Amino acid sequence: MRTMKVAFQINNEKVTLQVRPYETLLETLRERLSLTGAKEACGLGSCGACTVVVNGIPLRSCLVLAPEVDGAVVTTVEGLRQEGKLHSLQEAFMEKGAVQCGFCTSGMIMTAKALLDRNKKPTRNEIIKTLSSNICRCTGYKRIVEAVEEAGKKATVVQR
Amino acid sequence: MILPKFEYKRAQSIAEAIDFYTYFDGQARYLAGGTDLIPLLKLRLSTPAAIIDLKQIKELKTLSPGDRWLAIGANVALFDLKKYPLVKEYFPALAESLDRTSCETLQMRGTIGGNILQDTRCLLYNKSLEWRTARGFCWKMGGQTCQVVPNARACFSNYGSDNAPSLLTLSAQVKLAGPGGERTVKLEKIFSGNGRKPLALKPGEILTHILIPLKKTKGTYEKLRVRDSMDYPLVGVAVSMKDSSTRVCVGGVGLSPRVYNLKNINENSVKDTADQAVAEAKPVMNAALSPVYRKKMVGVLFKRAIKKIQRGGAR
Repeated sequence: MRTMKVAFQINNEKVTLQVRPYETLLETLRERLSLTGAKEACGLGSCGACTVVVNGIPLRSCLVLAPEVDGAVVTTVEGLRQEGKLHSLQEAFMEKGAVQCGFCTSGMIMTAKALLDRNKKPTRNEIIKTLSSNICRCTGYKRIVEAVEEAGKKATVVQR
Repeated sequence: MILPKFEYKRAQSIAEAIDFYTYFDGQARYLAGGTDLIPLLKLRLSTPAAIIDLKQIKELKTLSPGDRWLAIGANVALFDLKKYPLVKEYFPALAESLDRTSCETLQMRGTIGGNILQDTRCLLYNKSLEWRTARGFCWKMGGQTCQVVPNARACFSNYGSDNAPSLLTLSAQVKLAGPGGERTVKLEKIFSGNGRKPLALKPGEILTHILIPLKKTKGTYEKLRVRDSMDYPLVGVAVSMKDSSTRVCVGGVGLSPRVYNLKNINENSVKDTADQAVAEAKPVMNAALSPVYRKKMVGVLFKRAIKKIQRGGAR
């Protein structure tokens, strides 16, 4: 089957790629762009490990076809660090010990980033409600919620 | 999980989408949010030659309140609809069911049209091709018998939309456009009761708008699920009250939601109708909780929902 040309912005860089029409965005990111931060776990949209932010909205990249993001702005966990400085969420996850095996972490961070972008100071309940989109099988959710709360509290949060 | 091969077409208008459908000789599926369709493709439960993306069609994304109706474009995201002030004010049952659909991330991607047109689900159906081949195909897949109820030549899968029940209590209608023209039908008419093809849409038809009579209602939605996030309803009960008439809809059990009308609300009428709903709900062993429990919960949630409205929102 013929490949298709898609052009989109990924982590502040413009890319033009030839993709298969039946390729998921997750496959494109991991296999064509070597951005392996987004993980494939369930592959059916249940777990959230593959979450990336597309046009400001957190999406499960395993449910998005690569041709669909033509013209879109995509941010993955790799795009959060800027000028060598980690995003406040990444700092908070490390500080609070919100990572154990790390497989769900990038999805958690991207879901939380989209939340902080639209609501700078979310309440604990809002954080829990939003993060219930993502499943973690080892740390438990308490420290993850604390980390997002911490990142939200920091007045110096640079929104990117 | 790898997708099967298909072509991808992006439609800019409803007419173009229908043209694509005709061009592929009906071997195509429409794509909106994809949260229901993409997993079905990955599991090889649907293997179309082409996917027609409807997301660029502006007409499907409009929210337009008129004098008598609120017309909701089928591609409005569940999350955006939930945040729409008119929905909260006029249709509390819908606002609640939207809020309790899946999780926030999927609400932002999933559309109201896609939520209504989702396929029915069963623990023994939504599995990989290898799993299903090893076990033998069930009735819904075109096999000889249901695998949950041995020897039954029927399907007992569950329709998992949270919002169709609340829309049914609001007497919603749907606008469809297809190769044969446009038509507007009552929402209840799109359920066929046939497990192999649970939705009675004609080939190539697109759900374009959902129309709700613009009248203030009181209402609520009660949902039974194992986790308080993401899960499909194991039982869902929506209630809307308007003037003196009350409509209750039970979803999550069986192929289509069932609507009950109550003229007067008193202890006896509620009990009798709830008993009728329990008797008519026929859950089988194909979901995360036992059928006995789910059947019982139909009655519990039915009465709880009505009580909740009578007490002004509190349980």
